[in-house]
Amino acid sequence: MPLMTKLYFLLILALSLNLSAQDDLLAELEATSLPATEYAFATWKGTKVVNLQTNEMPGEGVLQYTILHRFGAFNQDFVYNFFGLDNALVRLTLDYSPKDWLNVGLGHTGFLKTYDAFAKYRLTRQSKGEKNMLVSITGFSSVYYANQKFNDNLERATNTRFSFVNELIIARKFTPNFSAQIVPTLVHFNLVETPNDNNTVFALGLAARYKITKMHAITIEYVPQFNANSFPEFGPSGAITGASDFTNALSIGLDIETGGHVFQLFVTNAQGVAEPYVFAQNQGSWLEGDLHFGFNISRVFTIKKKK
Amino acid sequence: MDSRWRSQQLKNMKKTIFLSLSLVLSLAASAQKLSTRSAEVSFFSATPVENIDATNKQVSSILNLENGQFAFLVPIKAFQFEKALMQEHFNENYMESDQFPTANFTGEIADYKLISLEKDAKLTLTLAGTMTMHGVTKEIKQEVMIKVNGGKLNLKGDFIVLASDYGVKIPTAKSDNISNSLAVKVDATYD
Repeated sequence: MPLMTKLYFLLILALSLNLSAQDDLLAELEATSLPATEYAFATWKGTKVVNLQTNEMPGEGVLQYTILHRFGAFNQDFVYNFFGLDNALVRLTLDYSPKDWLNVGLGHTGFLKTYDAFAKYRLTRQSKGEKNMLVSITGFSSVYYANQKFNDNLERATNTRFSFVNELIIARKFTPNFSAQIVPTLVHFNLVETPNDNNTVFALGLAARYKITKMHAITIEYVPQFNANSFPEFGPSGAITGASDFTNALSIGLDIETGGHVFQLFVTNAQGVAEPYVFAQNQGSWLEGDLHFGFNISRVFTIKKKK
Repeated sequence: MDSRWRSQQLKNMKKTIFLSLSLVLSLAASAQKLSTRSAEVSFFSATPVENIDATNKQVSSILNLENGQFAFLVPIKAFQFEKALMQEHFNENYMESDQFPTANFTGEIADYKLISLEKDAKLTLTLAGTMTMHGVTKEIKQEVMIKVNGGKLNLKGDFIVLASDYGVKIPTAKSDNISNSLAVKVDATYD
């Protein structure tokens, strides 16, 4: 047997022996059988940050009930109003995910006796591996009907009572603890106060969260508008003394997760609860102390089991 | 010139034959290596408040019948729960699967020479090795049932795994819902 051939033979034998070592069994498994693409999950604890939607939605077959509360402002006879409880605004929603990527729901908000219907739909998912995707992109669209009665004897056509919100949520989980999102937002009112006002207001939501423990996270959210409308200011006599732009919603909160619930406790300058009022018709200012304590509570029920 | 070229060619041919032969030999050695990518691992947590169970059908494993060595690889995110939120919490709060995406168990089968694919048999053998989960490695020994039927090998085992052994903390507030002691079942049929 020529020397070279012997060497080859030995080499191959050595290789085949080497392959059967334990660590190589594991390496062999790791090389061949791990999932090719890994998707990010739990970018946020809840389906909302405070006022903005997140890219999260309940899993397929899951029903979610949320109670959203905004107490009266700290500067509105806070103690007299039982720490803002007596002049709190409430919103309730019920939503369901018929598909993994689709969530639909109904809501009612006390402010202007508003009814709404909404849908949230996943467009992309952040992933790495074979399929690389930098961000999760999710759409949110909703329609609101303000059913408030007015005693000013002015007739209001049904279509003037509608408003609409679209959010495009672009989120990324940067580390297991830190996530952030930017949310181009469009708010449309069929009816605005004056002919000079914009029916459509554009805003850019910004939000981030940092997990301080496994069950707790700090959140911050800011929604600046690009073409804010203004509202009149009234003097002590009731006369209009000037006008101010509607303010941008700024909120700081704490998420607490307890199994099937997520509790979100926060301070915000926006009391209207429903999206159009919070993003484009908010009069509260942090600088003037118009701060509202609030909470969002969610509860999920698994209607259709996965297995 | 011509004859030199010919002898060179002959040499090359010999080399190729030996090479192929040794390759065949090494393949024959690995023919005793059984593997699967669809082994099942499930676990069950029982408390008076609720029962939690999850199944993973994407577990891969290799058994080398030549030397008795084995390996199991478990992708943590592939555990399927009844409730989506449970699955999220399992990955996010307990297994931290972004950080520790897999668990594994490697080692040797004691008395592996008793295993023969030629004849049907039922054997109770002991797996001894190391289990790594949630970044923690522990030595374990575990009896499993190995069944050979028509040349196919099936391995079944029941383990008790303590979450606390692997640095998975269950908060006191959750201890009514989640048991620290998990009943783990393995079921692997090799190709």
